[in-house]
Amino acid sequence: MQPYELSLSAAADAIRARELSPVELTDSVLERAGQVEPRLRAYATVTAERARRAALEAEREIAASRYRGPLHGIPMGLKDLIDVAGVATSAGSRVRAGHRAESDSTVAARLSAAGAVLVGKTHTHEFAYGLTTPQTGNAWDAGRVAGGSSGGSAVAVAAGSATFALGTDTGGSIRVPAALNGVVGLKPTYGLVPRHGVTPLSWSLDHVGPITRTVEDAATVLTSLAGYDPRDPASLDLPAVDYRPAGGTDLTGLRVGIPRTYYFERVDPGVEAAVRRAVDRLRDLGADLVDVEIPMTRYVQATQWGLMVPEATAYHQETLRTVPGLYQADVRVLLEAGELMPAGDYLRARRARVLMRREWARALQKADVIAAPTVPVTAVQAGQETITWADGTEEGVADAYVRLSAPANIAGVPSLSVPVGQDAAGLPIGMQLLGRPFGEKALLRVGHAYQRTQPPPALAPAA
Amino acid sequence: MSVTEPTPLETARWAARAGLRLPAERHAEVAAAAHRILSVVSVLRDLDFGDLPPAPARPTAQEERDAAV
Repeated sequence: MQPYELSLSAAADAIRARELSPVELTDSVLERAGQVEPRLRAYATVTAERARRAALEAEREIAASRYRGPLHGIPMGLKDLIDVAGVATSAGSRVRAGHRAESDSTVAARLSAAGAVLVGKTHTHEFAYGLTTPQTGNAWDAGRVAGGSSGGSAVAVAAGSATFALGTDTGGSIRVPAALNGVVGLKPTYGLVPRHGVTPLSWSLDHVGPITRTVEDAATVLTSLAGYDPRDPASLDLPAVDYRPAGGTDLTGLRVGIPRTYYFERVDPGVEAAVRRAVDRLRDLGADLVDVEIPMTRYVQATQWGLMVPEATAYHQETLRTVPGLYQADVRVLLEAGELMPAGDYLRARRARVLMRREWARALQKADVIAAPTVPVTAVQAGQETITWADGTEEGVADAYVRLSAPANIAGVPSLSVPVGQDAAGLPIGMQLLGRPFGEKALLRVGHAYQRTQPPPALAPAA
Repeated sequence: MSVTEPTPLETARWAARAGLRLPAERHAEVAAAAHRILSVVSVLRDLDFGDLPPAPARPTAQEERDAAV
């Protein structure tokens, strides 16, 4: 096994035991990036020299018994919306040509303090306003979509050109590409991870979180990311938590909610079968399966759009007037159309969100976690615009990918996507586990227990 | 509730009112996108909000208390 193939936890164990040096690991990951990047294009920028310097520094610190913890010397990718001092945050857009971040975002600063090594900035759908990331190829089949908007981060982790990565998630942008590339993605509770220094899409729906190969790795990264920062108005001052799950797989007494509505409607049969098989594994581990009703499903898309569209347009107000031609066509028209939304619609969406949060809290009294598909269909061919369902209805690809992930953004609840197998074409399938606000530990416990019943996660076979 | 698609001229006027001058060749495309968005969002008019205020930027005090337990 090459160092780039190691999970974060395995690499951290080897570094701590001084069986592997951060320089060896970083060189291996950079070499891997050199092999796969021409085909997959996960990175907007690879900061190779900076990475080698940081790895050397980590090696010296560890040799001097100044080990900082499990991220020390671990190579990572950061979505190109996340500021790193001295590096461009291009946001996948010509609008940002010549950009250079003046200071670190909170999450970049925290990861740097933990000793993580930046490999580079990963591609995003332009300003995170889309679900495909057209610059990047899927790690399992480069002719298929990476998913988005954190497509570069998920592909880098799946292909071995980053040991872990960060993404952002406004309607599913961590979990969708994680599911489509067979890796783990965690959208934390709203307010848990500060967004200072991260380019917004929609302030009331944006989250930052990890993309990793294992649930245990996601827990390790979350432990470093979470914590109050007053520069993010949504950030909460809460006691520090170690999110890393215990080793056991016993889920006796845990109630896993199975949605009776919404999450299994207009879902590919192969996706549904894989998720239901994974749920059966949870039952085998001792969990009690209980039916849950998903509330207010008729209003999910309306609330999501009612919040996101005007907020995105507001953020881009100036550049939409000065350099509109620099936006990609799909993003420009959404930003322009957002100018036409009345304030009344925006306020209704904000009020609907209150109702939805209440109703979700009620639904989550009946279950400790809810298990559901992350996305209704695996990665489609690049350029495919619609999906036709068995009932004859047609749905836009972006609408389909966001449909099952958006409720967690509106309700603000945590959601963890875990790989649960492949479809008939060999493409990965994701199951999401949804929990109560600040219930990350429960999600990570269940996801980790499930993964321990499965073969160890491997890199995407075609990468 | 059905929403009538704004005409290209209405689209230009509404955008101008928001301070955005749309070139004529963009009126039809933006009108179609705006129509789709406003149609989706119009479903929210069916909800009875009573005296409910809009969601705050931060999670609620109740959520903070729950998290602290």
